[in-house]
Amino acid sequence: MARLLTGPRAAVWSSLTAIVMTLLTAGVLLLVMGRNPAVAFYSFLQGCGFAPKANYGGGSGMLSDLFDFLTYLAPMLLASLAFIVAFKAGLFNIGIAGQMLAAGFLATVLAGYNKTLPSPAAKLIVVVIGIAAGGLVGAFVGYLKYRFNIHEVVSTIMINYIISYLTGFFINNNYVDMMTRTSRVCSPAARLCLTNVQIGGVNCKIPFGMLIALAAAFAVHFLFSRTTVGFELKAVGRNAHCAQYFGVRVGRRLVLAMALSGMLAGLAGVNYYLGYTNTIIPKTLAAMGYDSISVALLGSASPIGAIFAAVIVSIFQQGANYMSSMVGVAKEIASLITGILLLYASCGTYMKIRAERVLQRAADRTRDAGQGGSGQREEA
Amino acid sequence: MEKVFTDGLSFAMPLLIMAVGAIYSEKSGVTNLAVEGFQGFGAFIGALIAVLIMPFFPKGSQTVIYIAMAAAAVGAGLYACLHALLCIRFQANQVISGVVINILAVALTTFFTSAANKAITGTSSNKLILDVSARFTVPGLQAIPWIGGFFRKMYPFEIIIMVLVLFFWYLMNKTRYGMMLRACGENPQAVDAAGGDVEKTRWIAVMISGALSGIGGICFAYSLLANFSPSIYLGYGYLAIAAMIFGNWKIGPTALVCLIFGLAKSGGYQLCIAMQLPSSYSDLFLMLPYILTLLLMVFFSAKNHPPKAAGEPWDKGRR
Amino acid sequence: MGEYVVEMRHITKRFPGIVANDDVSVSIRRGEVYALLGENGAGKSTLMSMLFGMYEPDGGEILIDGQKVVFHSSTDAAARRIGMVHQHFKLVGNYTVAENIVLGIEPMKKKFGFLPWVDMQEANQKIRELSAKYGLEVNPTDRIEDLPVSVCQRVEILKMLYRQAEIMIFDEPTAVLTPQEIDFLLQIIDGLRKDGKTIILITHKMEEIKRIADRCAILRRGRLIDVRNVADTSVQEMADMMVGRPVNLSQEKPEARFGETVLTVSGLTVSDEHHFDVVRNVSFSIRSGEIFAIAGVAGNGQTEIADAIAGMVKIASGSVKLLNTDITAASVRERALAGISYIPEDRQGTGVILDFSLRDNLALREYFREPFSKNGILNDEKFNSYAEDLIARYDIRSGQGAATQVRSMSGGNQQKAIIGREVEEHSKLIIFVQPTRGLDIGAIENIRREILAERERGAAILLISLELEEIMALADTVGVIYRGELLKTAPCTELTSQDVGLYMMGVKQA
Repeated sequence: MARLLTGPRAAVWSSLTAIVMTLLTAGVLLLVMGRNPAVAFYSFLQGCGFAPKANYGGGSGMLSDLFDFLTYLAPMLLASLAFIVAFKAGLFNIGIAGQMLAAGFLATVLAGYNKTLPSPAAKLIVVVIGIAAGGLVGAFVGYLKYRFNIHEVVSTIMINYIISYLTGFFINNNYVDMMTRTSRVCSPAARLCLTNVQIGGVNCKIPFGMLIALAAAFAVHFLFSRTTVGFELKAVGRNAHCAQYFGVRVGRRLVLAMALSGMLAGLAGVNYYLGYTNTIIPKTLAAMGYDSISVALLGSASPIGAIFAAVIVSIFQQGANYMSSMVGVAKEIASLITGILLLYASCGTYMKIRAERVLQRAADRTRDAGQGGSGQREEA
Repeated sequence: MEKVFTDGLSFAMPLLIMAVGAIYSEKSGVTNLAVEGFQGFGAFIGALIAVLIMPFFPKGSQTVIYIAMAAAAVGAGLYACLHALLCIRFQANQVISGVVINILAVALTTFFTSAANKAITGTSSNKLILDVSARFTVPGLQAIPWIGGFFRKMYPFEIIIMVLVLFFWYLMNKTRYGMMLRACGENPQAVDAAGGDVEKTRWIAVMISGALSGIGGICFAYSLLANFSPSIYLGYGYLAIAAMIFGNWKIGPTALVCLIFGLAKSGGYQLCIAMQLPSSYSDLFLMLPYILTLLLMVFFSAKNHPPKAAGEPWDKGRR
Repeated sequence: MGEYVVEMRHITKRFPGIVANDDVSVSIRRGEVYALLGENGAGKSTLMSMLFGMYEPDGGEILIDGQKVVFHSSTDAAARRIGMVHQHFKLVGNYTVAENIVLGIEPMKKKFGFLPWVDMQEANQKIRELSAKYGLEVNPTDRIEDLPVSVCQRVEILKMLYRQAEIMIFDEPTAVLTPQEIDFLLQIIDGLRKDGKTIILITHKMEEIKRIADRCAILRRGRLIDVRNVADTSVQEMADMMVGRPVNLSQEKPEARFGETVLTVSGLTVSDEHHFDVVRNVSFSIRSGEIFAIAGVAGNGQTEIADAIAGMVKIASGSVKLLNTDITAASVRERALAGISYIPEDRQGTGVILDFSLRDNLALREYFREPFSKNGILNDEKFNSYAEDLIARYDIRSGQGAATQVRSMSGGNQQKAIIGREVEEHSKLIIFVQPTRGLDIGAIENIRREILAERERGAAILLISLELEEIMALADTVGVIYRGELLKTAPCTELTSQDVGLYMMGVKQA
């Protein structure tokens, strides 16, 4: 165990540990509530199209559930990439929900309600607006940090609420659907998916977002492993003082990191609001903005790890409705499971430190036994 | 005009007690972004206890409120142990821990609110309905022009919070524990060398932080909303943190900042009413505290002196 | 009561990966000054930290007044009247002297007849009396962060006295003091001995032991080598036992061959965040082949001068010229490319990124240009080959070669990596700040040789050190800084250590 947690695949093992621990905890909770954990977990999978349900409504099937799942997964992955980019540069972008909303709202208003735009143009405009809106909010946060030393956690939260109230005000005044009390549904032309595609007799929607999200994951991976800019961003995150010392313009890199993070969050926003929900509930921030933090930490802040972590978290979130209907547990348990997952994932460093100490002690013992215990050290 | 002061104070006081809690944690050397989580979790426990015991008291009994406050303090204090465990024992990144605590609090309280409602009332509401706190007016003081509004229609909790703040000022500045606590946030090595227990001091500080935030949370639940629901998470915990930052981690100036936040919020709201704008415009005025915070940060952030050791885990064995 | 007040028998202490003390036994008599001599890393501080209760030994036992004791914390040790002045003072910066001294045992009074209240007046009064009694010249109401290191040290002594310590441990007390301050300190220690206190002195300086100590234990690599009466032992004997081989710290310094002026600093003023001038109107120049050393007590503005030349802090006024180019407004990167290398004071905080691999850390000066990267894309092979090359030539030792995380490397090897990286740039100007602090003698010898080799090559060298001995051994020209001002600049041969010491305290005027 200790060896796995310190080895070259340490991150993977500590994430798997977190997942197992979470399943155990959630399982115990379900048992206490008098439910069968195995049935509950299976129904999460059924709800996401990974396993067949007992029966399906007209025109839907396992495949349509799977595509719905992907429609949800795409913004989740993008949002977690947004967190990762900032995190690598030492910043905590917990304003992803707000950046998503800003991007989603602007795209909905500017392109989603425009009936005249041809579909490809509308989709392109939506993507551009998403990137621009999120990027601007992110860059603003980075600027506040660098110029005025404002902690990004506080500023992003403040901006979250400002965006939430501001968009809520406009939706309630101008764009509200009187029946649902949410914003009017955006046009199919602007959505980042193909709706009503018939595959094997079932009605599916095919998300473009998944392609964007996967491409983004590999782009982020490339950025941090192979480019000078990524090298500098990581240096700023690990030791900003040293980065300044070897000639990085730290302030500019902070702004860049937050701008990139915001762009990804914006992309997540347009995929979420123009693809998954297709409407905006006023004054409500998407829980996905916070779930993405769980995904990022569960994936050990690695863009490739995030792909797998996003699948795990999305299964719980997206499968919760079906699970709730099958097992009769409130669907909010999905958020609880995500929260517990986050808690265990955040203990990863501690587990690693503990494992290292265990190994070191074992090594010391064997060495002492071998040669009567001599050693040397440098002054701390 | 009078309502501006009345409402302003009733918003400022819970904010202040939360900020004082944050000051305790940070002065002991544990960065505390978890105020929001403590607040919400405390309010949940307080509201849950209130709902459970309400049938045994006459309708509108104020005793329930005090019991709920005590429960909120205890509940949030215990929940804060999680932050202490992660930050002090596990030496996790304290900013991450704070964010984790907050997200987990939302998830826990949301789930268990509906679970509790189902168990108690059989409904699937996501709210725990509370009574309304009684109010009182201080005779004499209320007649003072302008600021008399502070003393009209006061909530009893405002007095409780004032007393608590005075007590916690005293504890921090005039007692041995307080001397230890502030030293822990500046130079834990000094505390260790002087025979103090850094970990214990910090644990207590974080638990105090939790308890005070919990009290703030239940006060919000009883004054602003008259219920507990996940909508209690409105970023007020972060406003308290901002107040602490502007107050330069000192209780007196922080109280002033909280009052400014309170007046800005109630003033904006009253302005909205005075201008006879439609109710949907109130959303714009609800943004005021957040915008004010950002603006204040722009002007005052550079001059701050956070506790030197805040955010750094203390490892006795490290050389 | 037996002959010995402290006995430590067969003490063994392990830290992950090392054995800090290996079966060490020492016995200390009441009222003597007992010195522990050894290099950095010999295990002296660890041994005394156990006597002071900060660590518990893995093996062996400790006796105080002939009684076996087990200390779980420094409180336990303090209860047995043991006090310690650490090398890094354990003081709270924003507290007053008195608040620091009474921390944890504050005198209390009852406010309003019932409320426990810390009584600072009484504390101040007591400390004033104590300070006067031992001639320590400390004002109890001063704030620690406003005080120079020598006063902070006396605050630590007061702390022990206030806590009625009878056994006093001093860990490298003279490391950062001027010669005159050392005289004052030794005088205080002598006074304490006359008062009946037992003094344990941890040091690596033979001269001090000769002047003040009665007996001396020599440690090397965690093991006790010998215990000697100081009066019967020569300095050379002590040195040889300490190092385990004959040493010669006074390096052969070739004749100086100065060339053109490389660095010209004129009227340099640097302000800190409170708009206080930490460097005031400083002017000097360094020629090719010259080592210009800045001597001064810590915190007098010397690191700010180095940072200002490297471009890391804003200059309030003045100018910096490299050869004939004015670089006052240039960025850090531009200056590095123009020919400045910098070995910073804070090795781990500034010089390296602990979480990066050795390979990446060695490339910090090169990664952004060909052949290390092209069009912003990194070239891994070049990173690796460059790292292998430097590791071999600068003898940088690490567990897994280039891939080793720098955090897991020893301080000496981290410093070798930094020096290798900076020297490899073949810069016209190299700034060394505290290059040998905390390293053992072998590493110190190596680094000093490296500095002299760069001087031979024709680099201009700015050396900033708190160790006067190092400055006198290496410098061609010495500038003495006091409160941000260069009080005196002169060829090293024209100054004695005593002269420099006086300037360092601001006593002599130029």
